[in-house]
Amino acid sequence: MEKYDVAVIGGGSAGLAALKQLSNLGKQAILIEAGSKIGSKNLSGGILYSKKPKKGQVTNVEQVYENFLDDAPLERKITKYILHSTSKDKVYSMDLTAAHDYQANFGYSVLMNKLNSWFAKQAQESAEKLGGGIIPGVHVKSLSWNEQTGTIIIQTDELDEFEVKAVIAADGVNSEIAEMVGARKKFTTEQLYQGVKVIVKLPEEIIDERFAISSDEGAAHLFAGDITLNHIGGGFLYTNRDTLSVGAVYHLDSLIRNPAEPYTLIDTLLKNPMVSEFIKDKVPIKPDIDKNLSQEEKLRIRFGVAKLIKTWYDIREANFSPSGRERLIESGKYKDVEDIQSTLLSIQEKMSEKFGVTFGTDYLEDEYGAKLVPDGKRCRMKKPFFKNILFIGDAAGRGVFVGPRIEGINVGIDDGVHAANAVARALDKNDFSNSLGEFYSKSIEHSPYTVDMKQIDKDYLKIFLDAAKDVPTDIIGVRYGTILKMMSSDTFRGIAIKFANIIGYDKLIPIIESEETYVKVPTILAEKLGKSISASYLPTIPPIADRIANLNYNDDNLAHIKVLNSSSEYMKKMVILCPSKCYSEEGGKVIIQHEGCIDCGTCSQETEWHHPRGEKGIHYQYG
Amino acid sequence: MGTLNITVIIKLEPDFSEGNVSYNPDGTLNRAETKNTLGPHSGIAAHAAFFGRVMYDAKVFIVTMGPPIADLALQQAQQISDAEELHLYSDRLFAGADTLGTAEVLRVGIEKMPHKMDIVFSGHRASDGETGQTGPQTAWKLGFTFLGNVISYSVDLETRTIRAKRLISLQGSPNVVEEVEAPLPVFISIDPTYKSNYDAVSQRLAFEKYQKEAIQRAQNFKDYLKVFNAKELGVDETLVGLPGSPTIVYKVERVPKSTATRRAEVIDGTDPEQIRKVVTKMKEALSAMVIK
Ligand SMILES: Cc1cc2nc3c(=O)[nH]c(=O)nc-3n(C[C@H](O)[C@H](O)[C@H](O)COP(=O)(O)OP(=O)(O)OC[C@H]3O[C@@H](n4cnc5c(N)ncnc54)[C@H](O)[C@@H]3O)c2cc1C
Ligand code: SF4
Repeated sequence: MEKYDVAVIGGGSAGLAALKQLSNLGKQAILIEAGSKIGSKNLSGGILYSKKPKKGQVTNVEQVYENFLDDAPLERKITKYILHSTSKDKVYSMDLTAAHDYQANFGYSVLMNKLNSWFAKQAQESAEKLGGGIIPGVHVKSLSWNEQTGTIIIQTDELDEFEVKAVIAADGVNSEIAEMVGARKKFTTEQLYQGVKVIVKLPEEIIDERFAISSDEGAAHLFAGDITLNHIGGGFLYTNRDTLSVGAVYHLDSLIRNPAEPYTLIDTLLKNPMVSEFIKDKVPIKPDIDKNLSQEEKLRIRFGVAKLIKTWYDIREANFSPSGRERLIESGKYKDVEDIQSTLLSIQEKMSEKFGVTFGTDYLEDEYGAKLVPDGKRCRMKKPFFKNILFIGDAAGRGVFVGPRIEGINVGIDDGVHAANAVARALDKNDFSNSLGEFYSKSIEHSPYTVDMKQIDKDYLKIFLDAAKDVPTDIIGVRYGTILKMMSSDTFRGIAIKFANIIGYDKLIPIIESEETYVKVPTILAEKLGKSISASYLPTIPPIADRIANLNYNDDNLAHIKVLNSSSEYMKKMVILCPSKCYSEEGGKVIIQHEGCIDCGTCSQETEWHHPRGEKGIHYQYG
Repeated sequence: MGTLNITVIIKLEPDFSEGNVSYNPDGTLNRAETKNTLGPHSGIAAHAAFFGRVMYDAKVFIVTMGPPIADLALQQAQQISDAEELHLYSDRLFAGADTLGTAEVLRVGIEKMPHKMDIVFSGHRASDGETGQTGPQTAWKLGFTFLGNVISYSVDLETRTIRAKRLISLQGSPNVVEEVEAPLPVFISIDPTYKSNYDAVSQRLAFEKYQKEAIQRAQNFKDYLKVFNAKELGVDETLVGLPGSPTIVYKVERVPKSTATRRAEVIDGTDPEQIRKVVTKMKEALSAMVIK
């Protein structure tokens, strides 16, 4: 059997950081990832933060990857962070940029596929030199221990079994490793959010103009109020370089109580007039082809139209981007900017004159996806190790999600570094007893990301109270008083922090994470104080079947999910809550069709749930 | 342990995949606008060579005879196989060659290589109207043992032998797997169902490493490219191009799967009488062999 020092299981941002750090420390490690390519299985919102806590230290992404700021595929540096309360066509906005900037070096919008591929390239280069590296397309299916040596034997669906001294489990929120060795139970619905997200295409300079940002700035918009359809959570819209990430994240228990299809939730957000206006673009509308034409002629027209539309999109996208224009001119196909623009115009003319293509206002969606998010407040593993296996990132349930503070990527990276350091130390001492896990456990226990979740940060709270200082005192009745009173009265604001401290963090969380905070108060704020916004068009939202059909899959004929009780109440709710409509009910029994599954994990609670085998299943293009 | 040198013979072909085919307004294929690409069978042969690269640290060379634009196919094959040299045999004199004329150019090219080749791979056949003969004819001209329809192989670098599985039809039953062993050098025509398997972690690590190298090399493929004309190659002009091609095409038919000419006989190893029979047969076979 082949033997290696360390195996990292899971090539998300957390696992990759662990591999990079181990290599930085000169330790040999291999990383096993189920997806056919690194990044293809990962999905985030997402904003990647680099933090500078007042007390204690965290390891930031730019410390793990030296050339991060110069070379990483970052979308935009977020410079505006705004919370919108919605009620029908009314929106009341609060600037929370100060909360976003709080103790932060920066926050960049990122797309996980691109970013993780970049991380992988860096980590691979370092790991290779030490005889390690990254192996994608391999799914770990079981772990066992060699009784004599204590080493871990890893079995996969694809490779011969092999042996390692320690494992860093970075296999995400639906960690099979944690479950198979009994390190923790599956997360419960109270401990999880379900996130759905779409990528909207929008040319770079249109984004700059619409969001009133320069090319090196970015905007983040959060939404609460009636767009939640009475669930605890909210919506987000982040600007990327030439796309927008639009998503909805809701507490899974609130979805179970009051089931709503994930796509209905995201569609509600997209139809909010403010969001509709943010995402709109000029789109070509295909002509109806005369049915009486010959088959060949119809085919010829369809070909012609499709080809022209594609060319139009490509040139237009480049035309609205400084680097795009440069690229076109460098290619030698165009003399200058005018040349590009006149070509674009002539294509446009050809489209309408030759084929009857018209242009209208709509939006263009490029990818749909969903994933569970562990609510670190409620699910962090108290003991994030089992024998010589250390759990990091989402696998350990370690994200920091408090109100508009949404941090999972940076926490996982910091965990990865802690775990790698602990393993490196164990390698030096050749000691893989429980002291490895205990050392790791202690080191993250002191991390500000852990400490932050245990106490109220007065300064952070004050930012919110200050943001709300323009809210008049008397707009809301006593019924929804607590939060609003805290926000809306000077006197209360003064004592709010004291009050928060008195009732304590644990009791404050249910007050903050309540329908009152996410739904009722924002809705009333919008109704009473909001500005009316009217959308200039109604977005044509693709039906879920089209969204799924648009995704890239490598179908596995072997089902990776088995329904355990086809008549349970929970499984019946999956018919509504599965974001890719894999479940249906027939004669009181719930059945699954696993082919369209996007590995979100929502149904894992009451199923025998595995990630698909190596290279199989969903392959996100953006993530 | 010795080293392993591998050559792959490839071919540029029209790309029949979706989106790359161009149609004339009358719906017929527009040949001028249809893109060219590495032939799919050549691609499989390049994968087989990459297997040698990963498993035995082999040096891979890719060769093709064709017009200057065939360098595109060489680049694609390099990206698959991590080849360290790409040879393009390009000359007007080669035009109009049939398989025999092509095989002659390839023979001269392969014999002129900087190293002695241990394995030469070719695709099963080309998809644009070839007959599947170039491979066997080149093997014959090189004097290499020919193994057709190979679906997997392994090499013993110490004894310098190759073990290969072939997909054949035997006495009327299709898809019989035959395992053969032969001393190097060999010429292998790769079956379309060939697949490389990398089952060990170390093999996958090597795979990733060489794949990365292959992508980098292919990005700068011109640095690895050598173009030879007839003169530089030193071919006998009467054996190549139109003069070297005796074929007259009047009809094209599919090449049937090769059928084994040998008949297998089961021998009971516990019966001394039967063993005696085997020894006699072996003696017969040995006396019939010409030792070079
Ligand atoms: C909609 C949404 C919005 C979010 N917004 C933000 C944000 O703005 N900022 C932020 O910081 N965080 C955000 N998060 C959270 C953040 O995305 C996650 O915390 C982070 O991506 C988790 O990284 P990870 O490496 O721990 O896990 P993952 O990225 O899930 O990686 C786990 C990997 O393990 C692999 N794997 C699993 N099992 C196996 C196995 N058995 N064998 C081999 N491989 C396996 C998987 O294929 C996967 O690649 C958001 C999450 C969602 C869903
Ligand atoms: S089948 Fe389960 S894991 Fe797959 S998409 Fe549906 S809910 Fe998510």
